[in-house]
Amino acid sequence: MVNFDQVSLLLLVLVPLSGAVLAMFLPKDRPRDAWQFAIFIAVISLALSIAIFIRYDYGMGGVQFAREYAWIGHPINISLDFGLNGIGAPLVLLNGIVLMGAVLISQTIVRRTRDFFVLLLALGAGVYGVFIVRDLFFLFFFYELAVLPMYLLVGVWGSSTDFTLFLRTKEYGAMKLMLVLVGGSVLIWIGILAAYVASSRAGSPTFNIDELVQLQQAGAFSRSMQLWVFPMFALGFGVLAGLWPFHTWSPDGHVAAPTGVSMLHAGVLMKLGAFGIIQVGMALTPEGAEVWMPVLIGLGTVNVIYGAISAMSQTDLKYVIGYSSVSHMGYVLMGIATLHPVGLAGAVLQMFSHGIMTALMFAMVGAIYERAHIRDSMILNGLIKRMGVTTFLFAAAGLASLGLPGMSGFIAEFMVFTGAFRTYWPLAVLGVIGAAITAVYILRLLARSFFGEADPQWANLTDASTVEKGVGTAFVLILIAVGIWPSPLLRVINTGVEGALAAF
Amino acid sequence: MTLAFLIPVLSFVACPLIILFQRWLPMRGAPVAILAIGGGFVIWVVVLAAFLGASPADTACAINSITGALTCHFSTTWFEAGIPGALESVDQAIHLDWGILIDPLTVVLLGLITFVALGVQLYSLEYMKGDARFGWYFAWQALFVAAMLTLALADNFLLLYIAWELVGLCSYLLIGFWFENPGPREAAKKAFVVTRIGDVGLLVGILLLWVNVGSFSMSEAFEAAQSGALSSGVTTTAAILLLLGAMGKSAQFPFHVWLPDAMEGPTPVSALIHAATMVIAGVYLVARAYPIFAASPEALMVIAIIGLITALGAATIALVSTDLKRILAYSTISHLGLMMLSLGALGWTAAVFHLMAHGFAKALLFLGAGSVMHGVGAHGDVDIRRVGGLRRAMPLTAVVFSIGALSLGGIPVLAGFWSKDEILLEVAGNLPIVFIVLTLLTAGLSALYMARAMFVVFFGPEGEDSVHAHESPLLMVGVMSALAVLAVGFGWIAFDWPGEFGGFGSFVFYGHAEGFHFNILLAVLSIILAVGAFLGAWLVYARRSVSIESWRTRLRPVLRVVENRYYVDETYQWVIDRVVLVVSSKLATFDRAGVNDLGVNGPGHAVRKAGFALRLHVTGHVSVYALAVALGVVGLAVFWWLRSA
Repeated sequence: MVNFDQVSLLLLVLVPLSGAVLAMFLPKDRPRDAWQFAIFIAVISLALSIAIFIRYDYGMGGVQFAREYAWIGHPINISLDFGLNGIGAPLVLLNGIVLMGAVLISQTIVRRTRDFFVLLLALGAGVYGVFIVRDLFFLFFFYELAVLPMYLLVGVWGSSTDFTLFLRTKEYGAMKLMLVLVGGSVLIWIGILAAYVASSRAGSPTFNIDELVQLQQAGAFSRSMQLWVFPMFALGFGVLAGLWPFHTWSPDGHVAAPTGVSMLHAGVLMKLGAFGIIQVGMALTPEGAEVWMPVLIGLGTVNVIYGAISAMSQTDLKYVIGYSSVSHMGYVLMGIATLHPVGLAGAVLQMFSHGIMTALMFAMVGAIYERAHIRDSMILNGLIKRMGVTTFLFAAAGLASLGLPGMSGFIAEFMVFTGAFRTYWPLAVLGVIGAAITAVYILRLLARSFFGEADPQWANLTDASTVEKGVGTAFVLILIAVGIWPSPLLRVINTGVEGALAAF
Repeated sequence: MTLAFLIPVLSFVACPLIILFQRWLPMRGAPVAILAIGGGFVIWVVVLAAFLGASPADTACAINSITGALTCHFSTTWFEAGIPGALESVDQAIHLDWGILIDPLTVVLLGLITFVALGVQLYSLEYMKGDARFGWYFAWQALFVAAMLTLALADNFLLLYIAWELVGLCSYLLIGFWFENPGPREAAKKAFVVTRIGDVGLLVGILLLWVNVGSFSMSEAFEAAQSGALSSGVTTTAAILLLLGAMGKSAQFPFHVWLPDAMEGPTPVSALIHAATMVIAGVYLVARAYPIFAASPEALMVIAIIGLITALGAATIALVSTDLKRILAYSTISHLGLMMLSLGALGWTAAVFHLMAHGFAKALLFLGAGSVMHGVGAHGDVDIRRVGGLRRAMPLTAVVFSIGALSLGGIPVLAGFWSKDEILLEVAGNLPIVFIVLTLLTAGLSALYMARAMFVVFFGPEGEDSVHAHESPLLMVGVMSALAVLAVGFGWIAFDWPGEFGGFGSFVFYGHAEGFHFNILLAVLSIILAVGAFLGAWLVYARRSVSIESWRTRLRPVLRVVENRYYVDETYQWVIDRVVLVVSSKLATFDRAGVNDLGVNGPGHAVRKAGFALRLHVTGHVSVYALAVALGVVGLAVFWWLRSA
């Protein structure tokens, strides 16, 4: 009998990955079978994620479920090292939940369904991999595995939109997303190689994060090296987290992407960036981080304000949420850059909370688009009449997004403000103002498109399907549960934060 | 006394129950909400009895060193964030509790909220009958009350802020309850956004206190403010920031614009908002955080000035408004201003006393207005020029409405007279003379506009809309009668009656117990003003024996400014249309054209162009390649030579 804890992380990657491989052999012309198979895989993944999150011992903290699989030995030293800490654990749970939701919502994919789910599961496996792997080589591998399917998912199953003033084709969205993210990857790879070279110079070449951290503590990474390497990580990972001014791929990507992909994109993919900054950037180059953090928190604040003000003028529902994501990821960046325990814990909680909230919003917008074939909030109106449940769920996500207490976003943002107020208080004030601006655009959107009298042209809309309602309700319940009782997540996050800030 | 936490929890539980099961529950679940708040009221009575019987020797209870009042405190851990185990150090973690704090201020407020909310919900059974979203209405009502009760009980700033925002959310949901119409929709949005702007101040204030005190606990913050552990700069800043939040919720100038529009919601909701929830939250916050304000004379002065501006300005607008609910709304703003003024004048007890007295009277008046709307079949506005002489068709409503109006107008022996008198005393005693002069003017105006509303609607000649009017159902009248009793008699608890009870001021006080104050000169002045105003209004509006038309023409320019509410709404609209939306749209364009098209597509195009240009050099002619190789070799050689030289 194999101990669950020893293989659990390996399974976490293997299940969706083998699911993706097996799905290739499904019959081509039976979309429903492909969907059901994907659900089957997603359920197992979710169950594993929950089990792992529960079994993570927050009393002990640190890296748990560690397991190493040697790959290339001396003198290169690459091995597939798994291990989960308090920052990865809640994100593993998040990925399980959002992947489940995205697969369910993708019921509406009818064209090349099998191929769609192959890519979607591969993406999910990649995301899991980044959260649980302790070796930079494989971290980079999984990172690319998570990013690359996006290109096809957006390019093949996406939608093109003509905004009269300008055109956004799905090919454009996919290409831009890919190029910008690959550009970021280049910087990350440079950073990883720099760390690797420094470890070779110190006599023990390794890609293992924990060993590299030990080397760093022993002084193997010079200050000047850290000063230029940290920006590589911060920028490279930051691009994926929507860091201003490298954020435009994200709203455009959303506009082009199909619903399920948007959910994963904003729900978990953008979190990889923030996770990377904490797990790689801060861990390996703390001195560099300390010097550069004022810049990062400044950019994060720009994200918050700039994203919120931009969202106010958007009319396409997906653009509104896309820019709102840019704004909300700004809180994550701010929280990280405080280098303050409460702020950093807030950033991680915000990752979780924003992941659920945005996925929910995209799911509901997808439901509307599916039926109305339009996402223009100036044309849509009175949706509550025909799509009452959809409206209710969208409004709930909107309220979470504007930081309504009682929902998870509030606790997270509040913690970020707390940390930021301790360190850079004027930026915290700007952050609070950003939350107020969020209220303006969310409420304007609700008033314009959802409440009010409906035009006759919307008289035939039907409400969300049972699957969509189920996913939406589950997500709302999670948002409220975390908002009222954040302890189960926070006590795990707290241990992760302790580890992440040990060097500061 | 620990049971007090159940008062809000009952209503909190009622909300989702109604939402989920309204389809199957009798009367769409309305009884659930009413049972919850009724249960809350019963528990309040129990808690009140327990509190009156409690002594400082009891566990969890003690005499608060700042307020001097008996304070009981119960709490349990909610969550910790940051680095666990490092709680001693402010720098590493935050710790938050679910905690309730019971002191006289909380106790009286809980009484006001539960009583008025119970009345409003019973009244709504009739008023909202037949509404398509009857169940939803009661679900939101329950949540609204629950949030307000939590606000009154909270022992730490974060919990208070949470309740504070939930109150804002529920007002949004209830003001916009008839969201099909643009009016309620816009009003709801306005209420949420305007109060939210004030909330930015509140949240920043809370964070500022946390940074300096190291805790979100209110009592620790108050002790720090009073003991001088906080610098005077921090104290004043924190006080002003908290005040911003209070100004938003309590509709103080310049954040008052949302309240008059809030009447777009169902009228019982207005009664609740104006009397027992939402607007009193701001006054409560200042009263609760008084140790911080009291430590800063500058902050007190700011409160007094803002309160006075609000009170006077709103009173003038109320005088010229023609919509019954709008008159009442501006009257609320004016009276909230008086409460703030009183707080600024160190009249803590007077402010809380007026909060209660005004609450009962205003709930009564709004329910009366609702009864009028119900009676004449109006929806939305009640233009007082089109209704009149309703006393014949609606005698009971006329009586109770008049009691509310007389009470709020400050006619002696009714509740409003005593509480207003206390405020006048405090203002006269603690602030420069200009304050008391203007406050007396406000008091006179307040009597005048109440008298005008009352005489025009119920007395005088019949209006065109009054023809088919009929009296409201018994339940509505019953609720109003109960409130009327309090609007008459509540003031009498201010006296030091024979026996153990030493008057309101001996129970609810800040610093030291207050006796019952009375100044014959001020009392006579205010009686003359109030009675004179009612007499004058009777002559003008009921008997029509005096005409004020010549005055109206002479004061035309002034009237126009007041009738346009000093153009405050227009100013906001201008800022939104011409500044906020323009900036936002410019930024969005910049993001697309600048950041994206130039910054992202630009390099893309550059690469493509470069590729295109370079392509021309890939000719396939061997001679060209040979030349390039030769040039390269020569270049390298020169480089080598230069380096070695």
